[in-house]
Amino acid sequence: MESIPLTWEEVARVYGRKIYNFAYRLTGNPDDAHDLVQEVLLRVRRGLASYQPGSFEGWLWRITRNAFLDEVRRRNRRPTSPLPDEVDRWGIASSEAADVEYSRISLGDDIQKALLELPYEFRESVVLCDVVGLSYEEIARAVAVPIGTVRSRIHRGRRMLKELLE
Amino acid sequence: MIHPSEMISAYLDGELSWSEHSQLVDHLERCGRCTAELEQVQRVRAAVRSLPVLELPEGIVPEADPVVVPLRRQKGLWAGVAAAIAVIVVAIAALVGPDPGSVSIDELSSRFGARVSLDPAFGPAKVVVPPAVIDG
Repeated sequence: MESIPLTWEEVARVYGRKIYNFAYRLTGNPDDAHDLVQEVLLRVRRGLASYQPGSFEGWLWRITRNAFLDEVRRRNRRPTSPLPDEVDRWGIASSEAADVEYSRISLGDDIQKALLELPYEFRESVVLCDVVGLSYEEIARAVAVPIGTVRSRIHRGRRMLKELLE
Repeated sequence: MIHPSEMISAYLDGELSWSEHSQLVDHLERCGRCTAELEQVQRVRAAVRSLPVLELPEGIVPEADPVVVPLRRQKGLWAGVAAAIAVIVVAIAALVGPDPGSVSIDELSSRFGARVSLDPAFGPAKVVVPPAVIDG
């Protein structure tokens, strides 16, 4: 059976950095990544009591992506926020706001910018694979899609990145 | 010719089954297009993986449940507070007292609780006594 961190503090210590890197590469700025990590850790803390032994990483990354998507939906509900056409770019449509976000990317190299251009599901799979280091099977569990879909998303995501980086 | 394009990333990630692996390797030997795509995807993959790993900023972890502070640390904390109060009291006494020259440090410390701060067991905090008080 998979061994899991026993306490919330251990989860924060062992996975905090990975979650932060995932969040940063997904959102493109440190403030949003910071907020997302805090939300994830709070959800982990609440959820650990009822955690059933199984794939801990799958459980953790499901929580992480749900927290991200909830935040996107919450932002999209704000009447003063621009309404994006898709769940993308952390809920920020192409506008002055997007330019502001871009300027806030402290480590904003070409790769990070290109990542932010990817549609969400491709960006998510690429980041979980290449930044977090999950296997295709772990990504499939976290994202709740078949492993063939993960394979396709990662490859298409990388091809899109190639086009964007040229 | 069918190009098994979507196998290329899985090949690089070591995610192909043995039969798929053999199939792709055979194909790559005959297909310049897929070989070129393999090289391009390999470069992109390496680029994303080369992104710096960011350290978790300090203070990002939400407060945990209240922690029982060990008695020794608690004592040190209060000793520090007492020392700070004592320093202020001594300074004020030196400045505005009716006759600073007649006030002894023992008298001050017993009156205002400064003794704790003079005990070396409570750490580096010290009472700073103006020369006017000591000399007097």
